Amino acid sequence: MATTTATLTLSSADLTGDSIAVSVTSPLHKAGVNVGLDQTSGLAKKVYAATQSNTTLISAADYDDNTANWVYIKNPMPPVTSAETDDYITLTLGASNITLGRLYGGQWCFLPYEGEQDIDITTSATNMEVEFMVVYQTA
Amino acid sequence: MATTTAAITLTSTDLLTDSLALSTTSTLYNGPDFTTGLQRLKVTATSTSSSTLLYTADDFAAIAYIYIKNTDTTSTDYVYVYDDTTSGDPVILKLAGGDWAFMPTIADKTLKAYATTNPTTIEFMVIGTDQ
Repeated sequence: MATTTATLTLSSADLTGDSIAVSVTSPLHKAGVNVGLDQTSGLAKKVYAATQSNTTLISAADYDDNTANWVYIKNPMPPVTSAETDDYITLTLGASNITLGRLYGGQWCFLPYEGEQDIDITTSATNMEVEFMVVYQTA
Repeated sequence: MATTTAAITLTSTDLLTDSLALSTTSTLYNGPDFTTGLQRLKVTATSTSSSTLLYTADDFAAIAYIYIKNTDTTSTDYVYVYDDTTSGDPVILKLAGGDWAFMPTIADKTLKAYATTNPTTIEFMVIGTDQ
């Protein structure tokens, strides 16, 4: 059993009239038990020379169903300041490609993953990169 | 235009033979300057019927960000977040007790939640740009 901890901190001095600082820390556990996840894909990086359309990034076939896994995905491209024209990665879920959201340059997400549906990506430009890691369990 | 930063740290001394310490910080894209505030709600529905509204489609312009935490201490008390705009109400997140997620949303889908146990308390916040 391994102990892996994830901490999120959201902070802003000007989003609201008073500063906000939200911080949450949690251990990553197997489904339904107080036992740490013990496997990982490793932190991976892919470079896509051509634009991609709903290309599988994380394949459900690699993970058991109904398990408690965690996914970290980042668009490591440098943030660009010209809004609306920046390149982005669109994340979609499953065969019907339910859109989760877009990751612009420098943005990331962290979410639990049950291992039942693929996570796909669509890139808005050529020569884009994506970094990702799955911390997971077997059934 | 506000400046909001999101940081994540993933650490482990024994997941791998070498220590893992991943840390990244980003400024939310395009300086979103509106928020629902950090809300704490009881999810009482155990199906999509009478489920809890988290976010109404197009309240914010793309791109918005959602933070949600299932505060329950029982790991098998799940919270399901689903896309109420798309046919079939597909579940996009399944949060065990204590789990949380931070992710972008393109902001044009209504998001609702139900739980396995009535009630289950969640905390959530959406940060975005007003339409």
